[in-house]
Amino acid sequence: MWLIFKKEFKELLRDRKTIIFMIVLPLLLFPLIFGVAMFFMNSAAEKAENVVLKYAIVGEQYAPDMSQQFANETDKFTMVDIQGEADYAKLIKDETLDFVLVIPETFNNEVLTSGQHKLQLYLNDAGLNKVLGRVSEIVDVYTDEFQKTAFANLGLNESQQQALLSPIVIEKENIADDREVWGERLGGLLPYFIFILCLQGAMAPASDLGAGEKERGTLETLLISPMERYKLVLGKFFTIGVAGLITALITVSSMAIWGIVLSQGLAIEFVAEVMAMIGIIDFVLIFLMLIPVVAIFAAVLLSLSIYARSFKEAQSYMGALVMVVVFPVLIAMMPGVKLEGGWIWVPLTNVALAMKELFKGTMDYFALFGIFTSTVAIAAALIAFCVYWFNKEKVLFR
Amino acid sequence: MIDISSLAKRFEVENPKKLSEQEKKDPRLKGRYFQSVKDVSFSCGQGEVLGLLGPNGAGKTTTLRMLSTALKPDSGTVVIDGEDVLANPIIARKKIGFLSSSTGLYGRLTGRENIAYFGELHGITKSIISARIEEMADLLDMQSFLDRRAENFSSGMKQKTAIARAVIHEPSLVVLDEPTTGLDIMATSTVMDFIQRLKDKGTPVIFSTHHLDEVQMLCDRVTVINQGESVFNDSLAAFSALSDGQMHKSFLHTLKMNTAEVGQCG
Repeated sequence: MWLIFKKEFKELLRDRKTIIFMIVLPLLLFPLIFGVAMFFMNSAAEKAENVVLKYAIVGEQYAPDMSQQFANETDKFTMVDIQGEADYAKLIKDETLDFVLVIPETFNNEVLTSGQHKLQLYLNDAGLNKVLGRVSEIVDVYTDEFQKTAFANLGLNESQQQALLSPIVIEKENIADDREVWGERLGGLLPYFIFILCLQGAMAPASDLGAGEKERGTLETLLISPMERYKLVLGKFFTIGVAGLITALITVSSMAIWGIVLSQGLAIEFVAEVMAMIGIIDFVLIFLMLIPVVAIFAAVLLSLSIYARSFKEAQSYMGALVMVVVFPVLIAMMPGVKLEGGWIWVPLTNVALAMKELFKGTMDYFALFGIFTSTVAIAAALIAFCVYWFNKEKVLFR
Repeated sequence: MIDISSLAKRFEVENPKKLSEQEKKDPRLKGRYFQSVKDVSFSCGQGEVLGLLGPNGAGKTTTLRMLSTALKPDSGTVVIDGEDVLANPIIARKKIGFLSSSTGLYGRLTGRENIAYFGELHGITKSIISARIEEMADLLDMQSFLDRRAENFSSGMKQKTAIARAVIHEPSLVVLDEPTTGLDIMATSTVMDFIQRLKDKGTPVIFSTHHLDEVQMLCDRVTVINQGESVFNDSLAAFSALSDGQMHKSFLHTLKMNTAEVGQCG
């Protein structure tokens, strides 16, 4: 068995495609996801914030102060002259303008007599823009001023003013700490990436070790070697499993290392906070839980691969398997599904839920018994099936 | 010495609808089952070379797979040097050197690594493996490509490596499934010489082929399989005598066909 493993692993390490899926992809995926996405989001937001908006105000004579305020902020706004009857939508679509603000003629600070003023803001809100926010920055000054004037005219003290503005207020006392909040948000998503990466890492060697043997014509020669069938299967199973585990180890390590690098190097605060909250033990537990998960993947992949007539056929079966793996992870992402009751015993879903709990810092460590028992039992049953499958002539000589 | 008696093997047809018209007309197709081998018997003694002949689909490869233990027969016996192959497949495998028709190699391993791997699977020590590889590399003219990755080998290089791999454990019986198919004249000649050397050493060799000149050159015995049954099993001289030394006519004679019928088979 060791001999089979040694040979398969030597071949594996000489395969560029496997190395990419096993090492390069997990190493690069997390900085790509967190770093690059954050970088682009930040730069896009920064760009939207700093761009000088081209604008027009219709009815500026009704709010000369406010109009002047826009005109004064030359680093943020630049006025474009338009006709009063112009097609605002067209001007915005062809990017002549970024927005048009229409001020009604009733606009004044006596809101108690004139009623609520409705300013119309024409803008293209489809992309990332900060038009409403930046316009509001100026308009809000006048909103506050009008409010104060009205309250003064009504003779209300500060407490009455607040009661009038918000008669009822819900004060949220969030008992979840930051870790729980971020764990809920990220913890559901991370198992998805980790499972897929482990599967991908095991997939390339699995295709080669089963269907590849058939396609190359080496299977028959291997079958008539004096090595018992179950040892052949276990040798191949361990090769696929180790490839998957290396991927898992690199994935989890890369997650931790890149998290720290990104949080310090790129000053992404929330990554720093999340990384500070999750301990080494949590990462070790995640890795340990991935061992039986990878064993399940390895056994299923090898069974599919040895059934397939060719490399191509194996890859099509494995493509479908990705869907099957995604499903239990998606269940774990559904609201209301928690690591309790029957869910502790549902393979893959339980590990995905446990990862989420570990990230949140709310893990019930007694659940680990159920998680390991169910995943190890399933993995063992699948390995036994794989050995049985490898003894079937109908499968080997399809 | 190998003795094969009344071998039979049938396969379940995965999708009978996908069979060609010719396959559907094959009398061996019974419902969802195809009787690939019905009744095959032959034997091959020390120092003998047996040529296994038969038209495509006759059951030659299935027969060779059964005697090499890759497939389990439904009935019949295979005895190698007194060892029942079915009862003790692992022991039998140590006695057989088998070259399948596909001659597959591990592309990312060198020729030497390919051969050594199978030597190790047979439990041979590394020093003996090294010595055996050197010996066979000289015999089969492999030194120039032995340490190159097999993925870039020519057909001839692949076949030579596969033959060396098949005999690394010095088997007491060598089985070759169409060993010269697709090879050029030089490579064919090397393979033929190697079979002759095995014969000279007293190792029984069974090889399937479509090349009657190879049979004439090397074989002591001939077995013809047709429609899953051994229809001829005797010495080369007896085979040749069926049609006054004209090998192809002898072959057709065993199939109970004449030249005109061969044309119809096309």
